[in-house]
Amino acid sequence: MRAFLRRPIVRRFFMIGAAMAALEVMTGPPGSTEAPTAGFAGSFTQPSPFFGLFSTVRWVVFLFLAVVIWAIVTLWSIQGAAIKRSVTTVTAVPRAATQRKSVRRGLGVVLLIVALILPHVITDPFWQAAMVEQIAVYVLLAMGLNVVVGFAGLLDLGFVAFYAIGAYTTAWVTGALPTPPLFGVDLNPFFAIPIAIAIAMLSGVLLGAPTLRLRGDYLAIVTLGFGEIITIFANNLYGITGGSQGTGVIPHPSIDLGPLHYVWGLTPVPYYYLTIVFVVIFLIAFSLLEHSRVGRAWTAIREDEVAAESVGINPLKYKVMAFAIGASTAGFAGVVTASQSNNIFPSSFTLFFSINILVLVIFGGMGSIAGVVLGAVLIQTVSMYLLHSPPAGYQSADLYIYLGALLILMMIFRPVGVLPSRRRKREIGLAESGEGHMDEVLTGDTP
Amino acid sequence: MGAFGHYLASHFTTLQKEFWYLLVGGVANGFLYGMVAVGYTLVYGVLRLINFAHSEIFMSGGFAGYFLMKALVGTTVPSGLSSIGLIGLGIVAGGLVGALVATALERVAYRPLRKRNAPKLAYLISAIGASYFMFNLAGKEFGRYSVSVPQPYINHAVFHVFGAPVLMYDIIIFVSGLIMLFALDRIVATTKLGRSVRAVAQDAETASLMGVNIDRTIALTFVIGGALGGAAGFLFGLGTGVVYTMGFTPALKAFTAAVLGGIGNLRGAMIGGLLLGIVESLSVVFVQAAYIDVVAFGILVAVLLFRPTGILGERLGRAA
Amino acid sequence: MSENIFEVRNVTLRFGGVVSLNDVSLEMRRGEILAVIGPNGAGKTSLFNSLTGVYQPQEGSITFTGRDGKALSIIGQKAHRVANAGVARTFQASRMFSALTAFENVKIGAESHRGIGVLGAMVRGPRTRRGEKDSDALTIELLDFVGLRAKANVISASLSYGDRRRLEIARGLATNPQVLLLDEPAAGTNPAEKIELTELIRKVRDVRGVSILLIEHDMKLVMALAERLYVLNFGSVIAQGTPDEIRANDAVIEAYLGSAATAEEK
Repeated sequence: MRAFLRRPIVRRFFMIGAAMAALEVMTGPPGSTEAPTAGFAGSFTQPSPFFGLFSTVRWVVFLFLAVVIWAIVTLWSIQGAAIKRSVTTVTAVPRAATQRKSVRRGLGVVLLIVALILPHVITDPFWQAAMVEQIAVYVLLAMGLNVVVGFAGLLDLGFVAFYAIGAYTTAWVTGALPTPPLFGVDLNPFFAIPIAIAIAMLSGVLLGAPTLRLRGDYLAIVTLGFGEIITIFANNLYGITGGSQGTGVIPHPSIDLGPLHYVWGLTPVPYYYLTIVFVVIFLIAFSLLEHSRVGRAWTAIREDEVAAESVGINPLKYKVMAFAIGASTAGFAGVVTASQSNNIFPSSFTLFFSINILVLVIFGGMGSIAGVVLGAVLIQTVSMYLLHSPPAGYQSADLYIYLGALLILMMIFRPVGVLPSRRRKREIGLAESGEGHMDEVLTGDTP
Repeated sequence: MGAFGHYLASHFTTLQKEFWYLLVGGVANGFLYGMVAVGYTLVYGVLRLINFAHSEIFMSGGFAGYFLMKALVGTTVPSGLSSIGLIGLGIVAGGLVGALVATALERVAYRPLRKRNAPKLAYLISAIGASYFMFNLAGKEFGRYSVSVPQPYINHAVFHVFGAPVLMYDIIIFVSGLIMLFALDRIVATTKLGRSVRAVAQDAETASLMGVNIDRTIALTFVIGGALGGAAGFLFGLGTGVVYTMGFTPALKAFTAAVLGGIGNLRGAMIGGLLLGIVESLSVVFVQAAYIDVVAFGILVAVLLFRPTGILGERLGRAA
Repeated sequence: MSENIFEVRNVTLRFGGVVSLNDVSLEMRRGEILAVIGPNGAGKTSLFNSLTGVYQPQEGSITFTGRDGKALSIIGQKAHRVANAGVARTFQASRMFSALTAFENVKIGAESHRGIGVLGAMVRGPRTRRGEKDSDALTIELLDFVGLRAKANVISASLSYGDRRRLEIARGLATNPQVLLLDEPAAGTNPAEKIELTELIRKVRDVRGVSILLIEHDMKLVMALAERLYVLNFGSVIAQGTPDEIRANDAVIEAYLGSAATAEEK
């Protein structure tokens, strides 16, 4: 019996079964402290259609799914190598093509055109708003965090702090805070952009300069704490931030340059285009950065800090720089959000936000700009879809359960992300085979 | 100077008046932090990484205790021996569930990565994912609102120190905290398991050559840390109530305590916990209650910057 | 201008209770090939790490004097500062940026001493482009110099031991150093590679004018290359002189024979 249970094929079935049971509970009905078992029990026993064929209960559906997945995985373990080979042969030509710069650029232009005409195709107001607030802005944020996590290899769990700083700075200079505006007059939010970027960057440097000397895991905790602290301040400094009541009304941005007049109003589409412009600018800037001296120095530090120092690279300086760039991107995103929504509340700036952005980066592929953009678009679209047309039993906060599970799954099965950066992929592969000195940076275990 | 001097003087007067009262509360909190902190320190010792999901072990212990108390206490008002029995049961339940959750965590979020020799960054992210998954799942299953735990005892002042009342709740924490931390200290210092833990902490490779089963030792480390964390969750819940996000702040503070004492150092974690609890409690005199968490965070940053090895230094290998 | 590129005076380095370097004094002249030998655990790598700012000795002084005559006190300096002052090094177990190509490895060395210029990098201005061109040219030149030009685009982790040593040397030279510290360059290489390496090291000094400080176990290589030697044992200097003098030194023979039996690989 024991021997039977230990056979890989049997163990695999139980593992997949356990994963499916977890999925069942995740997608099942909610419970409460009054009925703590209702959620669990209902997850298995609620009636459910069997792929539209007939009606049954949930556990039957999931057991069926488990068997199907088990069969596929087993088949793969036997035939996988052959299948992989034939897939590789088929995809060899397109893959080689995407390595070419011209093809990549062309693909980028096509995607940009799609992004530009999208608001004319999708006219549902929910989705138009989501495209700005939840997708375009999140693409921006993911690109910013990618500089910190992907390029410099620093785990920042308090990214929300800089986003909040950007948003509150906007409220400040436009006169929406209880405290008098920065320059005594209420400015157009456009002027908030450089100010917010500067202040976010400055706070990035102020937080980073002392803490980036720390080992990577300590840094993660310190940034986590910092994110919480910013929320505590926003919540409690009534005289400055408006406290939990939120800010006053933040005006919409407008352009008034000679013949050029435009006021961004309540409709989301103009914001969408504004954000897309900045997404493209950041995209180009960051990919130039990646392939510049600075990008190579980050790679060097990430891979072997001791060796990097031995060729004259000052790790602290480059880490602070990555932190500052990430912070200013988040600060900028804060401006967009603040000027687009009428007012902002501390409750929007929580740990959930930081982790959400981290998931986008990890899912897409740390260090891969194309990856994190794809990751942000995919995940945010799915989460907006779930919000817009929730399946039975889904509560909006359930999203976080899925995101958490996704982080674990990515780390177990594909730590490099769906569209990995080639450098990162090699690095992780080398680290797993015991080469390189990546971990020293994180744990401080220098020899 | 005058105004600031006055500020200080008036606050010191308050501190004098409230000192013993705050101290009692601080020590009680300190024991809780210490119990959670040893979990961080133990796992750090054997895996060289911070278990970001430890907060959820604490939370699960809290819920286990809540449901047990709800079933056993209900609307009755227990006292005397039945109180002691109920609290014992609650601690056992919290500890069991904490250990169970810790084991599952190690199996699902850590072991696959260890088998693959994944970079440490992967562990951190996986642990963050696990933490996020667990507390949000708890929110879904048990509701996303705070509930108070049916009290298995009458929370009266048992005696006074210099006029400050020491409540039943404080005594429960002192006694159970002392017993558990003492037991842990002895386990690590004298048993075979403790020796394996220390051996792995010092040098995993050599330990495995000497016949220590690394997988088992790591799993057991999670069990011990989880049991203490879960029990602490129950005790915390008794006083503060339970909610799915209850783990976050106490765990951040317990981590601070672990670093304060020297991460990897068992006794350091206990002392760090007490110290943090007391300092935090006394700081109420100087800052508004809303900013108490900021004080703990400030201590964390200060320790990391100025004395990253903590008060007692990092050395689980030689702890105890 | 000082004749000596390094002056080490009474340096003592301790780790807890363990004395790693004990009152070590030595000097290195500009333009020479100097070797430090000694049994395992004698403190050779500790000396290297002290010279490059990785370790901070508790006592003594280390002075580096550049070509411009400026003296730099090494103790208390960060490693990257020391590197920027003109001290390049290799590591005992080669430490490359393993996931990068040979070309990228050297290029990182070539551009590390330039200013940072984030904005320049993000807009790719003319100065950035010119800098890139210069570093590319230097990188190609150095890869050629160490004989790795054909392998410029190979991922460094897949290079052979010998090639990794060459790559590390090229990366070090790219920082435009005045002295190159080589930590057991011959470790893990085969006899043919050893001969090539010997020639390369001499060429580094003769052609590029870089002084060489060498730690090595392989006596044949040391005796063939070094013009002067220091012998360390238990953290102290026990002898110094030319290869011939050292060969005849009783204390050295004693140290090697006496410890050979108990030596353990560090």
